[in-house]
Amino acid sequence: MKRLLLFTGLLTTWLSGSTQAQSDAVTPRRWYVPQHVILQTAGGIGLVAGGAGYTLDAKRRWDIDALVGYVPGKYTGGRAFSIFTLKGTYAPFRLPVQTRWHVQPLTVGLLTNYTPSAMLNRSRDDKYPYKNYYWWSSTVRLGVFLGGRVGWELPVGRNNRTRVASIYYELGTNDLYAVSFLTNTKGLALGQILTLGLGVKIDF
Amino acid sequence: MTLPFRSYLHFGLTLASAALLTSSCELLEFSPNDIRAPATQRNLTQQHLERLVEQPNPTEGDTLRFAFTADTQRYYDELDPLVSSLNQQQNLALVIVGGDISDFGLGREMRWVNDKLKQLRMPYFTVIGNHDHVGNGRAAYQEIFGPLNYSFTYADTRFIFTDTNGREYGFNGQVPNLGWVSQHLADTVGVRRQVAICHVPPFNSDFDPRLATGYAQALAAAPRLVFNLSGHIDKYGVSQPYRDGVTYISGYSVEQRQYLLLTLWGDKGYKLESIPY
Repeated sequence: MKRLLLFTGLLTTWLSGSTQAQSDAVTPRRWYVPQHVILQTAGGIGLVAGGAGYTLDAKRRWDIDALVGYVPGKYTGGRAFSIFTLKGTYAPFRLPVQTRWHVQPLTVGLLTNYTPSAMLNRSRDDKYPYKNYYWWSSTVRLGVFLGGRVGWELPVGRNNRTRVASIYYELGTNDLYAVSFLTNTKGLALGQILTLGLGVKIDF
Repeated sequence: MTLPFRSYLHFGLTLASAALLTSSCELLEFSPNDIRAPATQRNLTQQHLERLVEQPNPTEGDTLRFAFTADTQRYYDELDPLVSSLNQQQNLALVIVGGDISDFGLGREMRWVNDKLKQLRMPYFTVIGNHDHVGNGRAAYQEIFGPLNYSFTYADTRFIFTDTNGREYGFNGQVPNLGWVSQHLADTVGVRRQVAICHVPPFNSDFDPRLATGYAQALAAAPRLVFNLSGHIDKYGVSQPYRDGVTYISGYSVEQRQYLLLTLWGDKGYKLESIPY
């Protein structure tokens, strides 16, 4: 939690650094420098999850993010979980609303995550007599989601790049919930397998 | 295309609040392995015991009638017919679920099963199964249902529920806890008959091989034991595998769309009926 606060603090300091444009040219970014940072709650990837990512195309439709999530021991029945997530999001539409506001009414995404917690009884373990005694992994999950974003254009930064602060939601599910639902068309309702994630994204 | 911001805002807020109101706690999931559950879906064993204490035995005299089902794991389609069949039975005091409530050891699966079984007219009691131990399932089971080993007495009958999923502990020589089992079988104050319940029966390869004989001996040493009930093998069967006078009954899984109706009377009298649904 402390690390998270520090991270948020640094981010705020850095973003509020300078709003003065020093030249008209966009300073080239080193290839490894992320193009946005995100902070999310829930959605199966942590009570809080923070991360960074890249926008892959010029029209800014494709994002790829890496996040680290945290679930305190209070909610795990023992030790806290760390959850490492990779997420890809496609946002096909961007609708301007007012000068600074825009809406991305649809996002579609895929994610996978790994929870290396010692709390988890591994389903692929040599205590089981043969391979695929349990067919799924208890530490790796796949997820899909649909969502949306609302973005607000921030004042142009030192490097002359457009900066955008967005809030988003993601309504999704994971592989095991999906298998449960698909094999029980009467016994489970779609609403029962959904998860909701809410987050903030800052492009800089 | 430029729409007034307010209409977007209004739409967004309506959607968000609708989503939040439906079930914010369940929707906002931190991890499928987290164990969060609303208060009404925690400590179900304790809750059901409190209900049982208030409930007079529906059968007259020394007769007790209950039902046994097992392995609900990912068979949600079968649960509504199961519940409606059980609710139509006369004089049923309680229902026992013989483990593998969940398939993947996820808390949400256990709560899905409870969403169905809470519609039973009578309280139900569970024993933990091997699938409920996978992932963080053991912690989720303890949060949602309660202790892994427990017993209670109702209508002069002591029910003893034991975690026998030794393989999930890597056959560490401690599961089942034979000391606990013997102690609870030995305490016969106010007990006319005993029923032992476990998920993996001692003659199955997922039972700790070093403890199987000990479990069987503990049951054989209990003079008031009527039988042992188990799940796991998805096959109905009644046997005395150790030739020690102890009857082992393997129940139907939910997938088989049958359950056992058990009627006890006297010291060791019992009747078994297979009920299809």
